[in-house]
Amino acid sequence: MRISFRLPDLSLLIGGSVAGLILLCALFAPWLAPYHPNDQELLYILAPPVWSADGSAEHLLGTDSLGRDTLSRLIYGARTAMTVAAAASFGAMILGAFFAHLAGYFGGWVDWIISRTVEVWLSFPPVVLSMLLIIGLGVGTDKVILAIVLVDWTRFCRVLRSEVQVVRGQDYVAFARLIGFSHARVIVKEILPATLPMLITLLSLQMGISVVVEAILSFVGMGVPSDVPAWGQMIADARIDMYDAPWGLALPIFAIFVTVLSFNLFGDGLRRTLDPRHTANRGA
Amino acid sequence: MIKAVIRVIGRRLMAIVPVFAIVTILVFGALRILPVDPAQMSLPPSATIQQVEEKREQMGLNKPIWEQYAIWFKRAVAGDLGESAQYRMPTSSVVFERLPATIELVICSLILAVFVGTVGGILLFSARGTPFESVGMTLTSAVMALPDFLLALLFILLFGVLLPIFPVNGRLDPGLQVPAQTGFLLLDSLLTGDIGIFASALRHIALPVMALGLAFSPTIVRVLHSSLINTYQQSYIRQARLRGLSDREILFGQALKNAILPVVILVGTQFGSLFGGTLLVEMIFSFPGLGNLMVKAMQTADLSVIMAIALIYCATTLIFNSLADAAAYLLNPKLRTG
Repeated sequence: MRISFRLPDLSLLIGGSVAGLILLCALFAPWLAPYHPNDQELLYILAPPVWSADGSAEHLLGTDSLGRDTLSRLIYGARTAMTVAAAASFGAMILGAFFAHLAGYFGGWVDWIISRTVEVWLSFPPVVLSMLLIIGLGVGTDKVILAIVLVDWTRFCRVLRSEVQVVRGQDYVAFARLIGFSHARVIVKEILPATLPMLITLLSLQMGISVVVEAILSFVGMGVPSDVPAWGQMIADARIDMYDAPWGLALPIFAIFVTVLSFNLFGDGLRRTLDPRHTANRGA
Repeated sequence: MIKAVIRVIGRRLMAIVPVFAIVTILVFGALRILPVDPAQMSLPPSATIQQVEEKREQMGLNKPIWEQYAIWFKRAVAGDLGESAQYRMPTSSVVFERLPATIELVICSLILAVFVGTVGGILLFSARGTPFESVGMTLTSAVMALPDFLLALLFILLFGVLLPIFPVNGRLDPGLQVPAQTGFLLLDSLLTGDIGIFASALRHIALPVMALGLAFSPTIVRVLHSSLINTYQQSYIRQARLRGLSDREILFGQALKNAILPVVILVGTQFGSLFGGTLLVEMIFSFPGLGNLMVKAMQTADLSVIMAIALIYCATTLIFNSLADAAAYLLNPKLRTG
């Protein structure tokens, strides 16, 4: 086997650094944000950003209709987005991977039940299902996370299941069984390491999806509570005054775009770097 | 041949019946668990406790849940989907009145998505090996990071606020009246020959269609691009080249026909998310379709409407999935032999 040293993938590098920066913003929000995100200055409502004619350096990205500092709300919004994205994506990954390994490894009726469940789940458009769940669960950051986990575990399950089936057919797995490894040990020690690259790639893509779902739910007022700054909620607020303050609408859209793009690039880069077979399209 | 096609499609469609039945049970059960009292919702706020109790009795809400489901099922089969608490009208008429608007929106978006996706995919493939390929790939990544509802808001900002060339509200200019026939505005206005209404409807549907269609297109571009690359590695392409066919003849006469299969499957499997996207896009553009109705129904806990629309979404998704499955089977000679 020839081991060649390659430069890290460009998408991996760019996506990873931008995502890392956003993560830092989220972590250090209280130190980075110039104002408290909910502080209202009613004398400075709908102030434009610093680069427009009447902008001031006091509010670099302007203020919203209640005089809240847009930059601070964007930074704190990153905190909400990242918290939800990380927790929800991990949750969906664990649940999806668990059932994918069960279905792919044992096959038979276990596979049948899990696959039919996934089929029923996937018959709902994800947006519709997550909103239906929120109606049942009620609003709140934890409820948003739970809703995303319950909707998106199927993404992991569907793609990983066939991956597990492929790995399960390998000789070394059969050999591990022959020398008396238990099923659990074979799954964890022999199969999981082989499916891990795909798991990590899917996780990165799921982070982007979770950011979007969180934004959608807070946009329609079914997401995090109203005192928690969130990008979707900023969009909903800014839409009312978009004719007077278009930047207020453009900036949170841009924030979501950059975040999702960075996770997608990172995921694409991971796929190319981690997948030795260089399979071009798996349609995750 | 036709018979075989019908049999394949029929078998796939029959397979979704049990799945759909389970979906109805799940949605019904989920909506009954909600802390909302449908009896109270369907009465004016001034109703006495006794009136609510009578209504509960009349609606069968005191019966066990499986019996309630049986009642719902029997009525649903007969076309009675209950009464909308929000509009105090039969749910079926509330829902079906808005269905054509959504179908029109979805069909137009799908046409735009497939058109842009196919042209983009061919262009990206033709640019393989040149710097344009990576530019195109980057562009698709960028658009993929803009889901339909963000594109919708961006278009409102660009073409409604900064450069107001498109209307951003509703289906028609206020004051225009349409002789309602099918409910499909574009079709109706063409049938009656009313160009003014047609133009107005077209201008109103433009931005929602662009948002939904363009959000879907980069996935098609990517899949067609890689599918064409795979196809060109097949031996028959080399043979066609040896026979002296031009690049154009090979691409449009041979390769595209085979490379389009993954696109057909993609459209079928992703149709649900396009249809689901109408929820937010219709809400953003105040487009009077199912999605808008669903958001309102969810905000007011109008259970029978939520149930009806959720089932329409599921049925459509399932049908398109199985059609994609059937198409994959029928179009792929390798799968057909089995």
